[in-house]
Amino acid sequence: MSKTNTRWVFGAAAAIALALGAYLGLRQEPPADATALLALSLPDAAGKEQSIGQWRGKVVIVNFWATWCAPCREEMPEFMRAQTEFGARGVQFVGIAVDQADKVDQFAKDLGLNYPTLIGGYGAVELSKTLGNRLAALPFTIIVDRQGRVAHTQLGLLKPDQLRSIVGKLL
Amino acid sequence: MAFALALTAFGPAFGPAFGLAFGQVNPLPPDKAFRFSARALNPETIETRFAIADGYYLYRDRIHFSVEPATTELTAPALPEGKVKEDQFFGRVQTFRGSLLVTLGLKDPTPGQKVVVVAESQGCADVGICYPPQVQRVTVAMPAASAAPTRPGEPPKKSWFNY
Repeated sequence: MSKTNTRWVFGAAAAIALALGAYLGLRQEPPADATALLALSLPDAAGKEQSIGQWRGKVVIVNFWATWCAPCREEMPEFMRAQTEFGARGVQFVGIAVDQADKVDQFAKDLGLNYPTLIGGYGAVELSKTLGNRLAALPFTIIVDRQGRVAHTQLGLLKPDQLRSIVGKLL
Repeated sequence: MAFALALTAFGPAFGPAFGLAFGQVNPLPPDKAFRFSARALNPETIETRFAIADGYYLYRDRIHFSVEPATTELTAPALPEGKVKEDQFFGRVQTFRGSLLVTLGLKDPTPGQKVVVVAESQGCADVGICYPPQVQRVTVAMPAASAAPTRPGEPPKKSWFNY
């Protein structure tokens, strides 16, 4: 093996190790199970406490969002379409708003939101951090399978084909 | 160079192999996306700066300043005009990118005192995420009155925004 080739092999090996390390370090580590999430209770816009656990056994898609977050609002119509399409097959979307109840209520009415959204306030950001949202940014979505395991966490927009691909495997 | 190429080539291949789904983003933490700094210009004026990383922006109407201790007060800071963005929900909003300089005036400053500038801001990244409101603090040592003398003939250091 020539000197140049050896150097290339070592270089490539080091690059692979580096890339691997970077990926392991950067990827969102989802918690192994969704026990903490399913045990959570938060008020809805009417002030009534709602437990996420009431949807246990379904594919639960929990979306942290806010009215002040434009990308969050952007993906919600798609979530509404998916709720309509997959609801009867056991998919339940649930919003957790990092926001104030009155703003959430108004926005949900304007949009005709067809799935429940709970009011988490800014405290919900801290909660999402414990669920893998390292940067505490929005939107952040957690998909829980029927067995209560976290199947996917997503920081940023969940694209329609991506959503359908993940949900399709869980139904 | 080879390293960079190899990273580019191999990087995406590792995603699925290690359970990383496609479409994930790795944005900056908010304090790196929106770096805040402040310095004293004279005994009664502080210049603040947000260095906003490429691909990130701040909302004008969500930027607020205060100073500590609470006995120190600010004159109303005047933010420059931002770039107008049409928001489906909020209508016309103004945003800042790049560098944002805002001058703050202290009311009845105590020369030589240390003040903590508290900046609240809220912004987003073009990759499609938003950060909750951030609070950043910078301590600024105000110069003693003699340290920044007003040159003869120069108009009084009355801040332009202090009308």
